[in-house]
Amino acid sequence: MSFTFVQADICPVDQASHMKDHVSKRILRWLDPGSVLLLAAIVVGLYNFIDWSRVASLDFSIVITYWRPLTTAAAMTISITATALILGLLIGVGLAVLLELPIGPLRYIINIYIELWRNTPLIVQLFWVHFGLPALTGVSTTAYQSGLLALTLQSSAYLADIARAGIQAVPKGQWDAIKALSLPGRTKWLEVILPQALKVMIPPLGNLAVSFLNGSALLGVLNVGELMTVSAKISDYTSKPVEIMTVVALLYLTINLITTHFTNRLERFTQRRP
Amino acid sequence: MISFNTDEIVRNLPELWIGLQYTLVLVFVSLAVGTVIGLAACLGRLLGRGLLSTLCTGYTTIFRGIPETVLMFWLYYCAPLLGGVRPSSMAAALVAMSLYLGAMLSEVFRGGILAVPKGQTEAARSLGIPEVWVWINVILPQAFRIVIPPLIGVAALAVKVSGIASTIGVTELVYQANIIAGQSYRYFELFTAVGLFYFMILFPMSMLAKRYERKLAMRTR
Repeated sequence: MSFTFVQADICPVDQASHMKDHVSKRILRWLDPGSVLLLAAIVVGLYNFIDWSRVASLDFSIVITYWRPLTTAAAMTISITATALILGLLIGVGLAVLLELPIGPLRYIINIYIELWRNTPLIVQLFWVHFGLPALTGVSTTAYQSGLLALTLQSSAYLADIARAGIQAVPKGQWDAIKALSLPGRTKWLEVILPQALKVMIPPLGNLAVSFLNGSALLGVLNVGELMTVSAKISDYTSKPVEIMTVVALLYLTINLITTHFTNRLERFTQRRP
Repeated sequence: MISFNTDEIVRNLPELWIGLQYTLVLVFVSLAVGTVIGLAACLGRLLGRGLLSTLCTGYTTIFRGIPETVLMFWLYYCAPLLGGVRPSSMAAALVAMSLYLGAMLSEVFRGGILAVPKGQTEAARSLGIPEVWVWINVILPQAFRIVIPPLIGVAALAVKVSGIASTIGVTELVYQANIIAGQSYRYFELFTAVGLFYFMILFPMSMLAKRYERKLAMRTR
């Protein structure tokens, strides 16, 4: 109680100066020497390397002129990534379940499949699928089909690996309980193991979604028609690459941040309910 | 299946070897620069307050969220329009990869340092050990061990990302294969060969990372 009296005794002028002191202290604490140094370096770098008259002449209205192709292309990027990830999830979980079966040769083949697709760059896979595979199968695919196929193949391999880790993270007691109750295979996988494994898989799945969204920009080399293709075409056509590419980069960044946000929320949501 | 022409690969091995050299230069230089950037960003984020840590967090978020393809394209085609510097394709690819890998590595380092059990640092501090020695003798040795498998992962990522440099015309492995295949239309043979080259580099790395991870898991259990 006495404490409040003391507070009330300070006259408004004193309080104001006290507040000012506090604010300046906070600003000082916010600007420690390291950050000041870094800021100075950035400012000097920007001043020396950037031609400000060029920056002033940038015309971002070009983005508004071309908003329709850009948004449809962004939608295509999202849809192709999402399709590849969903198909990859189905195939990957299937492969991970098959890996748990005690069939030696099958396990061997699946492991080779996973390692082959995980340990080659996406760009090589894209060229291989688009130009090489038709020589093998005789069926030539459109750029969209081969892009989706390459993304799906790679994501299925990554997701099989993630799903395997998820399945192995299911506590041993659960497996013992399944055996003790002699649950049939369907119930065992669909109602006991996989729901728990999927919960563990969410954080790596979010990372994978971001890396595949970034990877999907590579489909531009095949002219698939997603964001990278379209933005490269527009910047060629209008000869204003700076405006277009900066906005496209920010667009990718925004999509990635939203994805990360939602995976984080999903993770929290699944962990809240035991 | 049409005849698999191994002749085509053998005949072009010298060109592919040149490409592989460029790939290795890209990987090693960008990893070295990226490590420096990553360490600085990670320490700035962990030790700095306020603005410094905000800047470092912003850096990692931005460069992890922008596709490497877009980054390289931006640095090669757009940066010359803004400033007086006109980078060669190699320089643009190196800068883009260093920035990207720096962001990845700063996350890896941060993860490693934060993964050191809290009891360790608390014990060291309560014994009155100076902060510098807490870092040198307690935190960093333990963090280093935790960080090795993801570090190998980032190195593998560098190898994979280096292929993207072909889109701006660096004459590395994918670019060479593309040029050669464009002449004879032997895409299947050449890209199988290139894929195998990459596989031979990347597979041992991922095996090593996996083995080390298993070892670590056993030690901590």
